[in-house]
Amino acid sequence: MLATDRHAWTNRWRFIHPGEKALFVVGLLAADFALPAASVAHQVFAAAFLATVIGAKVPARAFWGVMVVPAGFLLAGLPALAVSVQLEGAGPLLSLSPEGLALAVAVQLRSLAAVACLAFLILTTPIPDLLALARRLGMPPALVELAYLMHRLVFVVLERASAARQAQEARLGYRNFKTSIRSLGLLVGGLFLRSLDRGRRLDTGLAARGYQGDLRVLSAEPELSVKRLALAVLMTVVVVASALVWP
Amino acid sequence: MSEAILEGMSEAILEGMSEAILEGMSEAILEGMSEAILEGVSEAILEGVSEAVLAAEEICHTYPGGVLALAGLSLTVPRGCRLAVLGANGCGKTTLFLHLNGSLQPGRGRIVVGGVPAAYDRAALTAWRGRVGLVLQDPDDQLFAATVAEDVSFGPLNLGLSVAEVRARVAEALAMVGIEALAARPTHMLSYGQKRRVTLAGVLAMRPEVILLDEPTAGLDAQGAELLLASLEALNAGGTTLVFSTHDIDFAYGWADRVAVLAGGRCLREGPPGEVLANSGLLAQAGLRRPLMVEIAEAAGLPHGGRDEILAGLADRARR
Repeated sequence: MLATDRHAWTNRWRFIHPGEKALFVVGLLAADFALPAASVAHQVFAAAFLATVIGAKVPARAFWGVMVVPAGFLLAGLPALAVSVQLEGAGPLLSLSPEGLALAVAVQLRSLAAVACLAFLILTTPIPDLLALARRLGMPPALVELAYLMHRLVFVVLERASAARQAQEARLGYRNFKTSIRSLGLLVGGLFLRSLDRGRRLDTGLAARGYQGDLRVLSAEPELSVKRLALAVLMTVVVVASALVWP
Repeated sequence: MSEAILEGMSEAILEGMSEAILEGMSEAILEGMSEAILEGVSEAILEGVSEAVLAAEEICHTYPGGVLALAGLSLTVPRGCRLAVLGANGCGKTTLFLHLNGSLQPGRGRIVVGGVPAAYDRAALTAWRGRVGLVLQDPDDQLFAATVAEDVSFGPLNLGLSVAEVRARVAEALAMVGIEALAARPTHMLSYGQKRRVTLAGVLAMRPEVILLDEPTAGLDAQGAELLLASLEALNAGGTTLVFSTHDIDFAYGWADRVAVLAGGRCLREGPPGEVLANSGLLAQAGLRRPLMVEIAEAAGLPHGGRDEILAGLADRARR
């Protein structure tokens, strides 16, 4: 998560308007869901991967790093999709049909391509930029602010957690299984109390700067470029066309 | 004929001379007067007769759990000063600052802002916080926004300023603390020293008359502290009043022009550093030691004065 965040803030496309990146992703997702998976999923996946690695210059390793966990979940779901259960007749019957397998693979491909699109988005766009976009698109301000503060506090809490873990380790808190369980319990309990305290102190800090229940900040707004928007649409068209030509 | 000419000439000369003399005199008088007036005015300002920008009057504060943090503390902050608030851990420095900014309300006593007793309704608090800025010790208690520029824009936006004005103030505040280059950086990827400067910029952008700084140099390396102090000195030269808490008695002695010594939730003494910080009994009572400079002065047999006097005295001694 920390690596993902770092790439989001430092990639080459960091200052490109989030709306342009979102349009690109929405176009790819629409193609992914509208066309037969077997023909379009590869192209969508490739487009998302190339945009991340070549366009935004995010290392390929980071891309695979984001993909590995959802891919694991998808694989775990493969047997359930491939096998069909028959309850009628003489007792429950499990069967593996070629159609069932094909369907499962198609769902997997489609899902992997969709995950790749989201990986592109979170590796190239910081969360606050996405939240600003969500606010623009009509998400309630209170929800946006909540998410914004959570994003900030996650990092503060993570920092505390890793510092606390180091301190425990230095005093042999993770020597064996028993002490590890105990230390982890203390760590989580302590973090909870600290987070409450942290929230209270942040409230004081914000009040001192005139906070009245409205977290307004002035964001640097990148220019929305018509050229890049057109390019995003063009990419979708290219993906769809290639899927139709080489099914 | 010649007589007539002579008379005419002498008359003309006399007239011219007297005119010149009169003019000169009146100029001298005017100059003298205006100087006297100016002196009088500046003296009045320096003495601070009515120029307490902020004052605490016998304030008491008890935290939940019964911990008495302030026990009838009184302190006057003269306009334009650099006031160091000194005291051991737990003497009430941070609590005092939270009161001076309206973040806490005293159980007894009152705060006076610019000669007017403070009110705690929303509008009054907004105006108060626009005049008195508070920089907390831990920057993570104050930074919440995603990027540096966004965070600095928070305060001025709360003052209800226009977007163009806020943009200008953000740029100005970032330049004042020398972090223009960090404007687009996310706040969670900054070093501790950088975070401290961002919190200061966030308060500067509100253009307060008074800035309260809780331990401004704590946790900073020598270079970081120097950068911060240079920004503060420039502000103070521009007329901003600075109130800061510190444990570093040598820093307070060398940098502040007023010091207040706190102990047990009260202010024991407030005055010029050369006077207050030479008082061993007082400092012992507050759990503080004497500044190094004062000890050197004493060892060298020089009178206790300000830092500059002691340095001059030592230089004089060395020359002889």
